[in-house]
Amino acid sequence: MTGAEESAEDLFENAPCGYLSCRPDGTIIRVNRTFEAWTGFTRDALLGRRFRELLAPAGRIYYETHYLPVLQLQGSVREIALEIVRADGTRLPALINSTLHHHESGRSAVVRTTVIDATDRRAYERELLRARRRDQEVAQQLQRSLLSGELATSATLDVDFAYLPGQNDVEVGGDWYDAFWLQDGVRVALVVGDVVGRGIAAAAAMGQLRSAIRALASTGLAPGPLLDALDRYVARHSVGRMTTVVYAELELEAGRLRYACAGHPPPIVIQPGERARYVWDGRSPPLNAVAPAGSRPQAATRLEPGGMLMLFTDGLIERRTESLDAGLDRLLAEIPRHDATDLGRLLAGVVRGVVDEHDDDICLLAARRAR
Amino acid sequence: MTVLRRNNVKLHGPADGRPMVFAHGFGCDQAMWRYVWPAFEDRFRVVLFDYVGSGESDLSAYDRHRYGSLDGYAADVLDVCGELDLRDVVFVGHSVSAMIGVLAAKREPQRFGALVLIGPSPRYIDDDGYVGGFTDADIDGLLESMDSNYLGWSAAMAPVIMGNPDRPELGEELTTSFCQTDPEIARHFASVTFRSDNRADLERLEAPCLIVQCSDDPIAPESVGRYVAGRLPGSSYVELDATGHCPNLSAPAETIAAIEAFVAAPAAADRT
Repeated sequence: MTGAEESAEDLFENAPCGYLSCRPDGTIIRVNRTFEAWTGFTRDALLGRRFRELLAPAGRIYYETHYLPVLQLQGSVREIALEIVRADGTRLPALINSTLHHHESGRSAVVRTTVIDATDRRAYERELLRARRRDQEVAQQLQRSLLSGELATSATLDVDFAYLPGQNDVEVGGDWYDAFWLQDGVRVALVVGDVVGRGIAAAAAMGQLRSAIRALASTGLAPGPLLDALDRYVARHSVGRMTTVVYAELELEAGRLRYACAGHPPPIVIQPGERARYVWDGRSPPLNAVAPAGSRPQAATRLEPGGMLMLFTDGLIERRTESLDAGLDRLLAEIPRHDATDLGRLLAGVVRGVVDEHDDDICLLAARRAR
Repeated sequence: MTVLRRNNVKLHGPADGRPMVFAHGFGCDQAMWRYVWPAFEDRFRVVLFDYVGSGESDLSAYDRHRYGSLDGYAADVLDVCGELDLRDVVFVGHSVSAMIGVLAAKREPQRFGALVLIGPSPRYIDDDGYVGGFTDADIDGLLESMDSNYLGWSAAMAPVIMGNPDRPELGEELTTSFCQTDPEIARHFASVTFRSDNRADLERLEAPCLIVQCSDDPIAPESVGRYVAGRLPGSSYVELDATGHCPNLSAPAETIAAIEAFVAAPAAADRT
């Protein structure tokens, strides 16, 4: 076929996309044959109708609040996804491009629209969304399974936690908690950490660091040296860089508490009959944040009988509209508002009290010496 | 971060002019007013802003809790008015901003001299004896389509750089997209907007109001505009020839004339 045989009329009528011309108020003044065929409407049924009448109610809202303003401000709109309701009630997923053409007088005159059948593309998009949701579920399952397992408790030690995964369909984060015996019934390790990032990778890194700490702790390392060793682990295996973690060990008989904090919010110590307070010693940067790592400091204090240690992640104190100090103060003020008889209920109450809506994971672990 | 930066506040006209605050609706930003506000900058102190989460506002200030109801958006209006210490404000609100303005005016009535409500709807979903125009399922469908058309959304919202020979006056602004929105925020704003019920807030509003109703508005139909007028004793009601939901864009001259006539009338005139 030569170019001359390709008439403009035929090119318009039987183009591989729907063509519409509308007045600025959306009244359809011209359509091509392709659009008739795709929608099942005859030309007579279409002319004089408003384009938005061909849309489902949800699409009409989008059309009025997004498509039209952008078209009028910008003179053109591209790749708007809308569903056109066919004559038989079925829907045609479509991509819409429009341009606004003006008369020489400067007054807008006609809106030219092409309609592309996006049935397969829309199905593919739904596949992608389903796949993304599946990924989130897998990551959540991974996170749950990595965090499962018994926490160390005994007649002289009460341990409990509160854990809220991030809301709003966000991917899982990398917060974790752990409490395990270094020597059964005698010495316990308490850990809370926060891996940077989200999703399966963060959950997997969290699992590795949690195991690494258990392994390193079993060699008898004190808190500071343990974090140094963890630093080397992070650097060598390129996992969990910039993770923050607080590691504490408690000797139950004497109440001796040793702890070290790598870039993590400080532990809370609550001695019986006293106010809750933060302990700000034994601090160093996040894991593998500055290379090469020196020897990380640790600190020691005594936990009286009936005294309690709380470790938490920053999700508990961070609000976007507030300073960190305000969040720290709010947490301390919240603790005495709750009955401390049952540790689990205390933690749940504190979390409820300080958190409203949260995108981030929230983790709170507490250990209490028996009186 | 000041409120002026957070809400991308733009000021025009004489500093001592009567303040006229323009508030955009769901789906766009202060660009919605670009054909309207220049008509008022000779006498009025024109205040334009974007709600947090829209336009060029500071997205990091977006807080799902605060913006989980229209009250959070009303707080934005009051923050802007407070920061500029505005009094006797003529508030011009389009679409959902009409009700946001009502909420703001009820909370700090001393700031507001008159309200222009363009395409107001105190409730979008039908209720017993009340026709909002939409069903629960329609709104579910809107949110769903925002979900499933995430790619379509991104495409529509991403900066669109294209020539525009017909409107050279738009110039450089075209290098950024109009009405750009974070899809997650847009979805939340849609949900808050279309599921809100502010009918009770129409009671005991002190400031004089003008209801500007388009003919054939599919978002806020005429019956809803008349309902609002009926619930606001002493309000004025004007129906435009303009069709659709955005007369500020499709029929700016007619919109300007309606606002002009209202602010010149004794009820809404400058009280200072």
